[in-house]
Amino acid sequence: MPPTTNPDLAPLIGRLTSFFLPAAGVPYYKGGGPSAEPTFLAVLALFASGVPAERTKPLLDWAQKLQNPDGSVGVDPEHRDQGVWLTAQAAIAFHHYGLNENLKRAQDFLLSLRSVTVANNPRLKQDNTLAGWPWVPGTFGWVEPTAWSLIVLHLSGQAGHPRAVEGRKLLLDRRIPSGGWNYGNPSLDDKELLPFWDTTGLALAALCGQADIDRLRPSLDLVEKRQDKIESLCGLAWAVICLQAYGKEASRLRTRLRNLMGSLAEENFHAGNFALGLIALSEKKVFIP
Amino acid sequence: MNRREFLKNAVVLTNAAAFGEMTSGAQRASVPCPVTLLPMPDYGRDMEKEIAAIMAGDGLALKGKKVLLKPNFVEAHPERPINTNPSVIAGVAHACLRLGAAQVIVGEASGHRRDPWFSVLNPSLRSILDKKVRCVDLNHGDAVAVPNKGGLTGLPHFYLARPVAEADVLISLPKMKTHHWVGVTLCLKNLFGVLPGIYYGWPKNLLHLRGIERSILDLARTVKVHYSIIDGVIGMEGDGPIMGKAKPVGVLVLSPFPLAADSTAARLMGFDPQKIFYLVQAGRFLPGLRQQDVVIRGERPARFAAQFDCLEEFKKMRGGPFF
Repeated sequence: MPPTTNPDLAPLIGRLTSFFLPAAGVPYYKGGGPSAEPTFLAVLALFASGVPAERTKPLLDWAQKLQNPDGSVGVDPEHRDQGVWLTAQAAIAFHHYGLNENLKRAQDFLLSLRSVTVANNPRLKQDNTLAGWPWVPGTFGWVEPTAWSLIVLHLSGQAGHPRAVEGRKLLLDRRIPSGGWNYGNPSLDDKELLPFWDTTGLALAALCGQADIDRLRPSLDLVEKRQDKIESLCGLAWAVICLQAYGKEASRLRTRLRNLMGSLAEENFHAGNFALGLIALSEKKVFIP
Repeated sequence: MNRREFLKNAVVLTNAAAFGEMTSGAQRASVPCPVTLLPMPDYGRDMEKEIAAIMAGDGLALKGKKVLLKPNFVEAHPERPINTNPSVIAGVAHACLRLGAAQVIVGEASGHRRDPWFSVLNPSLRSILDKKVRCVDLNHGDAVAVPNKGGLTGLPHFYLARPVAEADVLISLPKMKTHHWVGVTLCLKNLFGVLPGIYYGWPKNLLHLRGIERSILDLARTVKVHYSIIDGVIGMEGDGPIMGKAKPVGVLVLSPFPLAADSTAARLMGFDPQKIFYLVQAGRFLPGLRQQDVVIRGERPARFAAQFDCLEEFKKMRGGPFF
């Protein structure tokens, strides 16, 4: 059962639900059509915030209808075969609401979705023979789709599955040596790429409790020590989510996140990122077993 | 990828007719293509009036039109000129309003950054734009499937961000940069950013696997660019488009012909566009590749001629002096 509603979050929940479309589904931005990602993240935000399940039901019904016969879930009802990496987010929502048949089909699809591997390239100091999850079937594995899929496997008790084991290896392999994750490659020609707050927070959340903490420490330190540099809603949300996951102090970041969400201009209102912010403020570990 | 690899892959991924078209036939017949070089020594100068005058002089009709400006945002790095400078974007956006555009949208599907705060929703851009200008994150939102008119990638469709599909006028605003896979990145390469990341990922790895050059050419056939303005105020040399170094050139390159803008910018960078494979191939269906097809207006090009440092493998693309 969802936890009790946090009254402090009520205005923010109200702002998120004001974006829900009358025919169900949530758009990324005002004026858009319903899209899978903001809808799944909104479902998770309502769950984490303790909103009664009946208010989430129209969104869950919409999500279930979006699932294809092969278990995959695409970007929106008009393009159901595109962006099937989003199946992982759908599966997380199905997991938390006990939609086991939908979850099983989504998991089966994810286990069939494997990124391509190639020979190692001396310009890239990484192991290209490891398979994770791609954005698009038939392409390479990247940090974000791999992390989302790992979260599904961890939540559903499949951390020992060979795909999960290899996926974690890929994420660990893609760490930037001085800390954090770029979108996929840690370096190019011996020059480290920049760490991103969103991929770093997501990768840390996906690896929480599933990897040697010493190997994650530079990345955790990066988020902790450079948290004042984080300015975006998405970055703040992921930083709070990952610091809380590891039991780290996040109160200053939480305050900044709450203030930013409370003052967000309409044209900057990305419903998916706003929902992530609510998940972070709820303190519920929806991405960690 | 060298030309041999390109053609080898093209055999796999395209039908025989398309392959034949790629490898035979002459360049497109000569069309005079105006390209204006507008001096802009730094980003502190408001160029709205000059840009509006040049666009109007080039016959760009914007009155009552829905205009989409497509800058280039890849990553945000405080010390590297990776992205189109906000001052240039603002100058062009305000010039479009001055010319009577009904709606001006600044839209980008950033190739590396999923967080729109690092792209067109950054406060540093918003704060200098007129309130009538909208900033739209093209990575997240509705898309429209349009047939791929090129056929080199084997992709039947491209999913264009809806604001791109619905715009009356598309203005490409790239940064003048070297590129570690294809030599240079300018207006045509900038078209990658009309494709939403939720369909193509970050980076748009599907296009990489199908061939960056083939993807550029397919997009150039499919998406009409009505006007191009290259930010060469401070370009990037060396290992672009993100790992290189600043290269001040002090110019904006403006043209109604994207290939003419690209070929001229390449010459200003010290590269011979006739040695840059995807530009040569684009010359089969777009005007403006050859120097004799370009009519330079504005400042003397010699004033801006530079020698951009580049990776060893692209030094064979160098040429000139052209001016």
